[in-house]
Amino acid sequence: MHIRRDEMAKYGIIATLALALVLPFLSDSMFILNLLVLMLIFIIFASAWNLLAYSGQGSLGHAAFFGIGAYGSTLIAAKSGLSPFITIFLGAAVAAFIGILIGLTCVRLKEWFLAMVTFGFAIIVQTLTVSVLAPVTGGWDGIASTRLLSPAIPGYQLIEYYAVLAITIASIVAIWYIMKSRVGLAFLAIRENELEARAAGIDPVRYRLLAFALSAYLAGVAGALEIHHIGYLTPELYGVDNSFWPITYVILGGLGTLAGPIVGTVVLTVIWEALKATGLTFGRYVIIGIMLILAIIFLPRGLVSLPEQVQEWLKRRKRKEPPSEPAKD
Amino acid sequence: MDNIGVFLQIIFWGLYAGCIYILLATGLNLIFGVMKTVNFAHGEFLMIGAYITATIFFLTGINPYFIILLSMLALIGIGAVVERFCFRPILGTGKLNEIFLSIGLIYIFQNGAAMIWSDEWQSVKSPYNGITIPVGSLSVPLDYILIMVFTAAILCGLYLFLTKTTIGMQMRATSQNRKGAMLVGINVERIDIISFGMGCSLAAAAGTLWVVSGQIFNPYMGSIPAIKAFAIIILGGLGSIPGAIIGGLLMGLAENGAAFLLGGIWKDAISFVILIIVLVVRPTGLFGEKGE
Repeated sequence: MHIRRDEMAKYGIIATLALALVLPFLSDSMFILNLLVLMLIFIIFASAWNLLAYSGQGSLGHAAFFGIGAYGSTLIAAKSGLSPFITIFLGAAVAAFIGILIGLTCVRLKEWFLAMVTFGFAIIVQTLTVSVLAPVTGGWDGIASTRLLSPAIPGYQLIEYYAVLAITIASIVAIWYIMKSRVGLAFLAIRENELEARAAGIDPVRYRLLAFALSAYLAGVAGALEIHHIGYLTPELYGVDNSFWPITYVILGGLGTLAGPIVGTVVLTVIWEALKATGLTFGRYVIIGIMLILAIIFLPRGLVSLPEQVQEWLKRRKRKEPPSEPAKD
Repeated sequence: MDNIGVFLQIIFWGLYAGCIYILLATGLNLIFGVMKTVNFAHGEFLMIGAYITATIFFLTGINPYFIILLSMLALIGIGAVVERFCFRPILGTGKLNEIFLSIGLIYIFQNGAAMIWSDEWQSVKSPYNGITIPVGSLSVPLDYILIMVFTAAILCGLYLFLTKTTIGMQMRATSQNRKGAMLVGINVERIDIISFGMGCSLAAAAGTLWVVSGQIFNPYMGSIPAIKAFAIIILGGLGSIPGAIIGGLLMGLAENGAAFLLGGIWKDAISFVILIIVLVVRPTGLFGEKGE
């Protein structure tokens, strides 16, 4: 059974990669290519949020790091003249640094307290951006951002897609590596039982801060990529919407799994665009909200657990066994 | 106007804003006390309450101060449905789930309201609009004074309900010790649903008072006051109703003071600055006994 699942996962990864590589050639519509780029960026963002949740910390203000990465990268690129491909990582470093600062106030807080502080933090950052920092950031009007690639280059959209795809894959491999390493085990130990983790010699404060820094860094990369892709940024970036989307993606896909954010982002983006085609505006959010609540109640481990759930259900039906309580992981 | 006049003006605005926060925070605290659940979508009930009052007012022209009761009754029903079908199934599955579920509720209520009432800003003119009462050197709108009276009356009613009625005492028992309450034969699930409904009806009262004061409202108005109410119950101590009242007043005063001193843009951010300082310095809140 385990070997089969491993093999399935292997084929799944290969198929996904192959699809990601050929997808731009299946349609020559610029709209779809643009959508794919944004989807990849949000996969990074959702994975970043998921990494923090993996260590047991749920943030309601990840838009702050997304935005700081975007502003950081844009301003560094504008002042120094460096290529956006370099400043993306510098801007993200700024986000990681701020992430450590906010992490320091949060390390002893849990659940709602943490959620509140992170939510408030996004609002504070937005306020700072439009008030004290307005001379640099352009206030509510925003500022122009260097494009990732100059539109003068032929086929620049296609190159951009592959560049973003490469960064996305690198981010996911990095997260996979972190999750598998001792650091990832420490995150899990803290999430499951902090007291026992401490008894085993894990310093929760240090690992919480590390999770904050890593997650903020990746969120910053995602924010910087999006803004250099669009070419313009405004403080709307810090909005509640941007904080809630990664959460919605991850919960629907599967919290705490590597594939969860990817599956969630892809599925929800497709549903979102399909609903858009039917002409719904506010109704789209209502449907997403209902899906989110149904997933939390009936599919707590997300869409990635769906095949398993169906298999189990079929087995039970065959044997006509009374339904057993699903084991908690 | 002289400095003292400005100062008094800020205090009055602060008290008025504080009233709305107190009602929201008390509702949240009631729910938290009994169910140990925090509903981040609490502000959406304020918004629905505001729209129900405004809609009835637009249709019938009844004095909006009387509609407050209808609005509160309606929200008891909506709150009960939300508790039964959303929060009860996930009770005890982890605190993060409650936060995520609230996000789903926020999506549904905000955009559902936008579908019904459109997402444009609206406002209601109270029948007492323009009437002011001189208090010392400044003239205070009659509406503000009525709002404070209504808030005080609702809080007194709540106090009597919690101390004198059987259900009120059962609610307090459940909030003190859930298992003990079950052992003495209290139907805690019924108490859950009642507390949730009452918490929501307090939010509806806050929404009504928001509307009658002439403030503009739209489907997205609820989030920020609710998050502030949440900051207030942390400030005052989780589960402490006196803490919620004092915290609410402090918050109203602080944000109006900050808006005056630092500029209006800081009105929302200042409450979180206070919250973070309180959490760092005294994580149990100003009046709480134990926290996380």
